[in-house]
Amino acid sequence: MQALKTIRTAMWLDYQIMANWTRPIIFFTYNIAKPVGSSLLLIAMYYVVTGRVVGSAALSFLFVGNAFYMILAQVMMSLGWVVHDDREHYQTLKYIYISPSSYYVYLVGRAAMRFLMALFPAFFLLLLGLLIPIPYAFNYPLLAFTLLFGWLFMVASGMLLNSVNLLTARHGGAIGEAFAGVFYLFSGVVFPVSMLPAPLQVVAMYFPSTYWFSLVRRSVLGVEVDGIMKNYTINQCVLLLAITTGMFIAMSIALYLTMDHLARKRGTVEMITTY
Amino acid sequence: MITFLRAVKGRAYPRVVGALREPSWMFWEIFLPILSISAFVMVYRALEAPKEFEGFVILGGIMTSYWLNVLWGMDSQFYWEKETGNLQHYIIAPASLESILAGMALGGMFATTTRALAILFIGTWMFQVDITVVNPLLLILVFIVCLASMYAMGMMFASLFLMWGREAWVMSNLFQEPIYFLSGQNFPVKALGETVAAIASLIPLTLGLDAMRQLIFPSTYSWALMTPVIELIILLVLTLLYLILAMLFLKKMERLGKEKGTIITRWL
Repeated sequence: MQALKTIRTAMWLDYQIMANWTRPIIFFTYNIAKPVGSSLLLIAMYYVVTGRVVGSAALSFLFVGNAFYMILAQVMMSLGWVVHDDREHYQTLKYIYISPSSYYVYLVGRAAMRFLMALFPAFFLLLLGLLIPIPYAFNYPLLAFTLLFGWLFMVASGMLLNSVNLLTARHGGAIGEAFAGVFYLFSGVVFPVSMLPAPLQVVAMYFPSTYWFSLVRRSVLGVEVDGIMKNYTINQCVLLLAITTGMFIAMSIALYLTMDHLARKRGTVEMITTY
Repeated sequence: MITFLRAVKGRAYPRVVGALREPSWMFWEIFLPILSISAFVMVYRALEAPKEFEGFVILGGIMTSYWLNVLWGMDSQFYWEKETGNLQHYIIAPASLESILAGMALGGMFATTTRALAILFIGTWMFQVDITVVNPLLLILVFIVCLASMYAMGMMFASLFLMWGREAWVMSNLFQEPIYFLSGQNFPVKALGETVAAIASLIPLTLGLDAMRQLIFPSTYSWALMTPVIELIILLVLTLLYLILAMLFLKKMERLGKEKGTIITRWL
């Protein structure tokens, strides 16, 4: 009960931090500008090579992958910043630490709101895809399940990053995006996993995001064109997503407990870096 | 002048020392960005693009590391300094705010150049990108002037972002992906059409990238927006323009901050 209360409060706080600097319409525009910019970048890359910007399997693959990657990127970008923001900007980390709430649960709440906010740009991009046009073939129940599990693995991944941040100095605002780059490369987001060198393909199979993006394509495009991932059935993908997500959650809790202990020991909970 | 230089050194010092004292940034700012760059290279490979296009991605990765430093280490830095309580010390110190910004720029360039060099060497080695520099002197000139122009733009935005308050963070975020697209981070900007490309040329990164692409990958000259010499001249003009605007905005920011009493107001 206490955990739910903490999550609810953290979600409310996160929304206020994200959005109360302006009117909702401006916030919405801002919220979609980044994902749209990223998609246009990929479309431009596609255009300079092929000389066209209309439908092909490759374009659908990278457009849909990128649209949903934006959810992951936004969540990571925000979560990569939360610890430094609380610790050095608002200087409230120590107060949250001494409150009866768990900081881990608080961060889960912050991540939940970021995930919800990141859904809007993804849906906007899907609408934009009608212009190209992307041949959508939605499987709504599968999409709903995929999004729910996506939230779980993104929170777990974000917590890995946050746990490390408890010990690191603030060097820039882009570490969350840099961390998201791991998933961008290894998960078959904008190119098939089969394009990766063989040893990296093995690494990719340990990432929940690999199965998540495969499920995204199946639930949005109705097909999976990745040479490796199409060998897995939907049920196998779901099972492997659940297993790897469980692994990530266990890892995130273990890492959080370790880093939390070290942060208290080294006194970095109050650290302020003014580089 | 001596005070100016001492202030530059004084502000650059913590950034250089900070980078050496806290090497954790190397993981976040060198290793991880290379993974994102690799992903873009793989996109070109999946599309069977010419090899030079992979070089575009490496070059884009190098230059955007400076752009990120300008955004997070310059544009939003005064706002950050206000929030952590340092800005008031800068203002009451017997040094100009311009010297503080110049120090930030130099200190930031130290870590960023390390990152850029790592991307250059690891990227070209990993993806076997052939580099043919046709005019090394011009390339160095374009690179230096492009950096000067970007950091001058950063100085200009530093005071604007400070006046805007918490929106500074938003603006820094907003100036990433949309600017990557407009500046042609991974592709020749001419593909956007000459009108859009001309507007995008107000961003120094656009012209710098276009000129450097021509000088490093001469076979892609047909994608060039203008000749490198013309782009160098425009970059010089932009540097001057942004420096003048930076000085004007700094004065205005300081005056407004003092009048409204917001110079030490935090968390707005």
